[in-house]
Amino acid sequence: MEARRGNQRAMGLWLGHLRRTPLVLFLILYTIITGGPFLWVASMSLRTTPEIFDNPYGLPVPAHWSKFIAAWTVSNYGTYFWNSLIVVASAVLLLTVFGAMAAHCLARYRFRGSRAVRIAILSGMILPPQLLILSLFQILLQFGLYNTLPGLIVAYVATQLAMTVYILEGFFAQIPQDLFDAARMDGYSDFEIFWRITLPIGMPAVFTTVTLNFIILWNEFLYAIVLLTDDEKRTLPLGIMHFMGAHQLDVGMIASGLMISIAPIILIYAFFSDIMIKGMTAGAVR
Amino acid sequence: MAVVTIDRLCKRYDGAADLSVRDVSLTVADGEFMVLLGPSGCGKSSALRMIAGLEPITSGTIAIDGRPINHVPAKDRDIAMVFQSYALYPHMTVRENLAFGLRRRKMPAAEIDRRVQRVAEKLGLAPFLARKPHALSGGQRQRVALGRAIVRDPKVFLFDEPLSNLDAALRVTTRNELVKQQHELGTTTIYVTHDQVEAMTMGDRICIMNGGEVIQIGKPLEVYRNPVDTFVARFLGNPPMNLMAARLERQGGGYRLQAGGSSFEAAGHAPDALAPHAGGPVTLGIRPEDLYEEPTGPAGARRAAMRFRIQAVEPLGAETLLMLSGVSGEEITARIGRDTALRPGAEADLFLDTAEIHLFDPKTTKAIPRTL
Repeated sequence: MEARRGNQRAMGLWLGHLRRTPLVLFLILYTIITGGPFLWVASMSLRTTPEIFDNPYGLPVPAHWSKFIAAWTVSNYGTYFWNSLIVVASAVLLLTVFGAMAAHCLARYRFRGSRAVRIAILSGMILPPQLLILSLFQILLQFGLYNTLPGLIVAYVATQLAMTVYILEGFFAQIPQDLFDAARMDGYSDFEIFWRITLPIGMPAVFTTVTLNFIILWNEFLYAIVLLTDDEKRTLPLGIMHFMGAHQLDVGMIASGLMISIAPIILIYAFFSDIMIKGMTAGAVR
Repeated sequence: MAVVTIDRLCKRYDGAADLSVRDVSLTVADGEFMVLLGPSGCGKSSALRMIAGLEPITSGTIAIDGRPINHVPAKDRDIAMVFQSYALYPHMTVRENLAFGLRRRKMPAAEIDRRVQRVAEKLGLAPFLARKPHALSGGQRQRVALGRAIVRDPKVFLFDEPLSNLDAALRVTTRNELVKQQHELGTTTIYVTHDQVEAMTMGDRICIMNGGEVIQIGKPLEVYRNPVDTFVARFLGNPPMNLMAARLERQGGGYRLQAGGSSFEAAGHAPDALAPHAGGPVTLGIRPEDLYEEPTGPAGARRAAMRFRIQAVEPLGAETLLMLSGVSGEEITARIGRDTALRPGAEADLFLDTAEIHLFDPKTTKAIPRTL
């Protein structure tokens, strides 16, 4: 009797596993498709180009860690990295500050022309960047910002502002009006209310835009290649391009460069995704 | 000291054709608990928000202690408000929520701490000061909202339906607690609600609003006993006052009413007030509690018999509600003692205490005044 019941339980467990098998298989497949190329590049970043051409799928034995030092110093990746960091960090900071203020106003105040302002800002999302590149080039040239990092920062802020405002406004508009009324009764000015109520409560949305903007701009290529020409001003995506000549391809160095460029994104995501998901699911407003 | 004077206050929202608040005038005495009562959409919340300074005033004046505050911003009016949703700042602890309004007023930190501690102890919130609002029960949140108003020691309290998010049992205890606190503090209070029980039990006076206008202002029982029109008559009291068509006839030196197949003297009303309606229709108002099973009252008072068919019997424990239909089909509710033998489907005489009847002009719905 006991044995039979034990058998039944074992069968039940097996059936449970069996039912989940398709899902597990799908997850394994998905992980291979997304994670595989990443791991491949990671292993290539520790191998030299001749080794890679000899055996593309080989394991990095022995691991050439010195390649990263070479990439950072000899191949100018250090410069590209700092350029990218300066441009992207400044752009994300400006986007967060201006985007949040604009979103707060659009979400909270009804003023003459608020619809027009909203449409003007959000129309930035409609136009593809390729369409704007010529006029942008011309404008930056006139203002003496062409081939400068501040010029690229301004361009980045302009292109990403629409999405930032869009995401933040949606979230800010859900914060109950009573909170703002209560803060007004408590004696706070409009800017203080933005600073002490909207921003802290809207933190999950702010983190979302920070992460998104950082990833998008960190990988941005089109504006960077058109608006920057000097080698010492290039950002990381351009730096990697540098290793792709017309007739030769330093695959090993490109892989090392990619690993360097991807590191901050992984860090940012690892740090913020937790807060982001927590904020989104805990219902910060209620 | 704070006397709130409102003079011909009007509010028109952008794009709206009609006024949401029309010519509202009232004076709230120092330390008084004034309840604004009315159905939803009657303009009571709009009026409150204008007093708070959250809504611009279309026309009229609001003054505190004789000083108009129309153009004083909300933050400088020295008014505290408790919101229906409590509006606690979710990212702050209870302590920070309580201190938020004080910090803005550049109060020394020690004084803020002292006040927060005192209010927290008064309201039983001391154990929760380090918690955030989402970790509190509904009743505790409500107390934090109240504490946030008290801690500022303002001239005027405004309450916007603060009890409507609480369950029935908690509502009763919180109601009493709130009245107790207000009496202790002696702060002028304006309290908005659509709940007539809250209005009757809490208010020193109540101001009944409908369609953006003030219909009647008075002490709760005064208004209950002498409603100025059929709206107030039906709005106050649960179940509401029964209204039925009647005829007023002159007979000898007095007046008699004919209603529901019964004829009785129009008691409680001066002949002068009744004269214009003689020989014509009037609306007869009967409170459910003024119908009895027994033909005579304790002091031998005469009661008029009226014939009804009993549609339903609702025993509530302490009392029993009868749903009745009269001879001409009017629907009547009666509230009688708990030990009744009456059963649905039967016909029975119920007896009306004629001294307690209310009469209204059917055209204007205004009350025909009673002798006091």
